[in-house]
Amino acid sequence: MFYLRLVRAQLEMSTLTALQYRLGFWTEGLLGLLWSVIGIAPLFVAVEHLGAVEGWGRWELVVLTGCFTVLSGTFTALLQPALRASMTHILKGTLDYVLLRPADGLVLCLTCAFQPWHLVEVVGGLALVIAGLWLGEVEVTAAGLAAGLATGVAGVVALYAFGVLVLCASFQALQLQALTHVMEALMDFGRWPAQVFPPLLRVLFTFVVPLLVMTSYPAEALLGRLSWGTVAQLAAVSATLLVVARLAWVRSVRGYTSASS
Amino acid sequence: MVRVEGLCKRFSVPRREAGLRAALRALVRREYRVVEAVQDLEFSLAPGERVGFLGPNGAGKTTTLKMLAGLIVPSAGRVEVAGFTPSERRPEFLRRISLVMGQKRQLSWDLPAIDNFEFNRVVYEIDPVHYKRRLEELTALLEVGEVMRRPVRQLSLGERMKCELVAALLHGPQVLFLDEPTIGLDVAMQLGIREFIRRYNTEHGATVILTSHYMEDVAALCPRILVIDGGRLRFDGSLEALRRQIRPLRRVSVRAAALPDDPAALGRVVLQEGGRLVLDVAPERVPEVVGALVGLPEAQDLAVQDAPLEEVMRALFGREEAAELG
Repeated sequence: MFYLRLVRAQLEMSTLTALQYRLGFWTEGLLGLLWSVIGIAPLFVAVEHLGAVEGWGRWELVVLTGCFTVLSGTFTALLQPALRASMTHILKGTLDYVLLRPADGLVLCLTCAFQPWHLVEVVGGLALVIAGLWLGEVEVTAAGLAAGLATGVAGVVALYAFGVLVLCASFQALQLQALTHVMEALMDFGRWPAQVFPPLLRVLFTFVVPLLVMTSYPAEALLGRLSWGTVAQLAAVSATLLVVARLAWVRSVRGYTSASS
Repeated sequence: MVRVEGLCKRFSVPRREAGLRAALRALVRREYRVVEAVQDLEFSLAPGERVGFLGPNGAGKTTTLKMLAGLIVPSAGRVEVAGFTPSERRPEFLRRISLVMGQKRQLSWDLPAIDNFEFNRVVYEIDPVHYKRRLEELTALLEVGEVMRRPVRQLSLGERMKCELVAALLHGPQVLFLDEPTIGLDVAMQLGIREFIRRYNTEHGATVILTSHYMEDVAALCPRILVIDGGRLRFDGSLEALRRQIRPLRRVSVRAAALPDDPAALGRVVLQEGGRLVLDVAPERVPEVVGALVGLPEAQDLAVQDAPLEEVMRALFGREEAAELG
């Protein structure tokens, strides 16, 4: 309960900051909407001409794009701002105040900033998933929905774990904010079905940089094409990545030298 | 309340020669130098004590303070604060301490301080009734009732520091670490903050550990001082004891229509200008010298003082005296 209250308070602070400057708030909102539309618009243009890609039909590709958009929106709304703010804290030495609070430092870092307008992208992504399933006349079973949710959660966990590793890198080398852009660029691979990648890349994008855990597999699960064995494997990948990220965080904080006053 | 035994902190710091060639070479192979920031520090503090850390820049004061607060993990030695090992950073420990840094801020720049206080209420799980009472008490004492409703970026340095203090004290810490809390403030604001810290210490029995470059802060607030230089503890005692140890001579000054023919016979002449004479005199000779000076024609403004604190510090951090103390 404490952590729920804490996360709520952190989100409230970010929202209050966004609301503090009226012009900035509306500009951000407009840009957020534009960004979401620009991200999805090519799909509307191309959907009529979409052929099957490696066994994925037109509407199945729309579901995949929806999953990707949800994840990309989560990244730009929640994770990227928090990572950038935390990296600035490390750079300026104000991480001191974060670490002095009587709560888990990692939770505080991962929830310290967010951009509410980018949640529009998440809503847009969910709409695409629903539209793709409906227009593609896919019958989503309860098991498929559960598997989709499980892989979706595993995907978000993997995304956050990867973000934590990027954050830990900035303890060693300051001014690594550009890494969040590299992460964003890497995520673009998640637009495509797992099957389009050669086996080596598929292994890389599943077990090392688990982009496919975040997008392709949740879509497959919803379409009822993923076995529970694979779901368990993906959950294991995410859990492993989470443990590695947590250990890296503990090690980084122990080596934190603060910035001199 | 605080116990420190054999505390050490070593940092590995990259170094290179000046110039482009050295910078390029450092890209491939970087050299590191080990800096002993804190060496074998030992001291203990009782609950409710007010203690000042004194030392030149880079002496290891802030590093020590941050190890006590649990921000930096020691390389060796033991630290115990309020019964906890700070580097474990347990929530129960963090609820008992607070750190205020004059050169860094915890308040969000864009929001009014009151929003930050509310956030701290959630983080420190302060009961709403208790929070309201505490906020009223602190804002009344520091006179920030209206100030806390303006965005932090619009506050003056002094107003911001007052709000930082409120944020740091809302949860009622038992140990308060203050790192240069009055830096950059005008004299009136410095006095106000000093008075507030003293009052907080007296009323709540909190242990206060202060570092400051303003000697007046330390002199006015801390009955006990620890002099840290080169990462080592050089002195532990009262300011008076330190002053007497470093500059045992008393400063005697007088203004008169005519000065003695041979003032050097009375003591070391610091200033002889117009009708004014300033001497440094051994304590046992003060009555004799004062007697002689009172007898001067039209003698006035006769004063006997200890050496000014700044002078003591200048002397203290000159290597010879520091070595003597060590």
